[in-house]
This record gives sequence, structure tokens and C-alpha cells, in this order.
Amino acid sequence: MERASESSEPVLDAKSQVTSQLIDFQWKLGMAVSSDSCRSLKYPYVAVMLKVADQSGQIKNKFIEMTIPQFQNFYRQFKEIAAVMETV
Amino acid sequence: MAALAAEHFAALQSLLKASSKDVVRQLCQESFSRSALGSESLLDITCSSLSVTQEEAEQLLQALHRLTRLVTFRDLSSAEAILVVCALSKTLLSTVSLPRLVDLDWRVDIKTSSDSISRMAVPTCLLQMKIQEDPSLCGDKPSVSAVTVELSKETLDTMLDGLGRIRDQLSAVASK
Repeated sequence: MERASESSEPVLDAKSQVTSQLIDFQWKLGMAVSSDSCRSLKYPYVAVMLKVADQSGQIKNKFIEMTIPQFQNFYRQFKEIAAVMETV
Repeated sequence: MAALAAEHFAALQSLLKASSKDVVRQLCQESFSRSALGSESLLDITCSSLSVTQEEAEQLLQALHRLTRLVTFRDLSSAEAILVVCALSKTLLSTVSLPRLVDLDWRVDIKTSSDSISRMAVPTCLLQMKIQEDPSLCGDKPSVSAVTVELSKETLDTMLDGLGRIRDQLSAVASK
């Protein structure tokens, strides 16, 4: 994803003490075809990497792997948030 | 509807000895019916095709019976769908994997004013993700870490774009 541009929120914000900023979001759609425990697989998965920066500026990478149903749920939740943000 | 317990997942491990997906598929189909649990012939077939003991075969058929019924109850009717659920069971996926998202909580706030701006209505989202590390690396108590991010509408839209692209890719792959 292209880098989101700087947010316009005021800097002095109590929440930023405990929250991080999402800097980047990378993803990959893959298929596991074999593993040590199962010779023949056809398991699609979505792998996501979130780059977050905490208050001190320290950047952390958070990796998440999801099954397709989990991804669909994940997507659905974001659409819900966006819909709410739209209406308030 | 009977749920699947840990011992059922353990019993499903026997499926790993199957020589092919067809064997697994056949077992799923055979174990679904009510008469499956008492069937001597099914037990024999299971024993020989998976090279397991009678007891192991019995436990497997019980677990598969529950699993296939659970799947059907939730309206996944094809054998393929049953296979997908089997593949997703903890047993067959007790393999190398990355951390998983176990919880996603969110809240939408509206910033109505600040020291520098007396009136505004800026929506912002607080998103908390709970991530669990690979359980096979952590033994009994896999660690869960929480990360809370604040997302502006812009960031959220950018994320949605990205997620939409994943969704499009999935449709493209699915239609092949």
C-alpha cells in the first residue's frame, strides 16, 4: 500500500500515549501446498504485515496470518468501521 | 449440536496417514451417515486404508461423524467444503504458521475540539488487535500481544483499498 499521508490530528493527544500509528500495511495471498505433517495441502491464506510506530517513534512489525474466512471477517469489520466513520 | 473436543482433533490425526485426498474425501462421506458409527465394514476399511488399530479407527470415525455433521449443519454441503474444514482443523494445520489474529475490537470517536481548534468533528478509529504467537512454539500458553492503533479516515480508506485488492485477488484465484 502506498504510504498514507501524514494525519492531521493534533499532536497533543492523550490517546497517543497508548496507541500507535499505523505506518504501513503489506499483504500477501499465498497457498500452502505441503507441510511436514500433511503431504498434500491446498490451503490458501492471507499474510499481513502491519508497521506501527509507538509514541517514542519505535517501529514494530506485526505479522498476522489468516485463513480466508478470517480474512473475510477482517475485511467486513473494516468496512463496518468505515461505514460508521462516514455517518458520524 | 455436539461440538468438537480436543480428543476429536487428536483422533483426526489418523487422517494424515491417508495415501491420498480421495481416501480422506471418501471417509468424510462415509462417516456422515447415522449408520456409520455402527458399521463393521466401514471400521475395517478405515483400519486397512489408514493402517490404524480398530480403536483408532473407531475414534476417527466418531470425530469425522461429528465434524461432517457440524459442517453440514452450517450449510457447507459439498465434500470439498468438508475437506476444507478438515484441512483447517488444528490437527492438519499443526504446522509452521505465523501469528494469528485472535481478536479485533474497535471504537469510533469524534474529536470535537482541542486546545488549538475549538470546534471540529473529526472521526477517528481506535483499533485494538490481539495477536497470538504461533502456539506450537509456545507450548501450553501461547503469548497474546495487543496492539492499539488510531486510524484516521484517510488511513482507513487506504487500508480498505488494500483489503479490497486482496479480495479481488481471491476471486481471481477462485475462478481459476
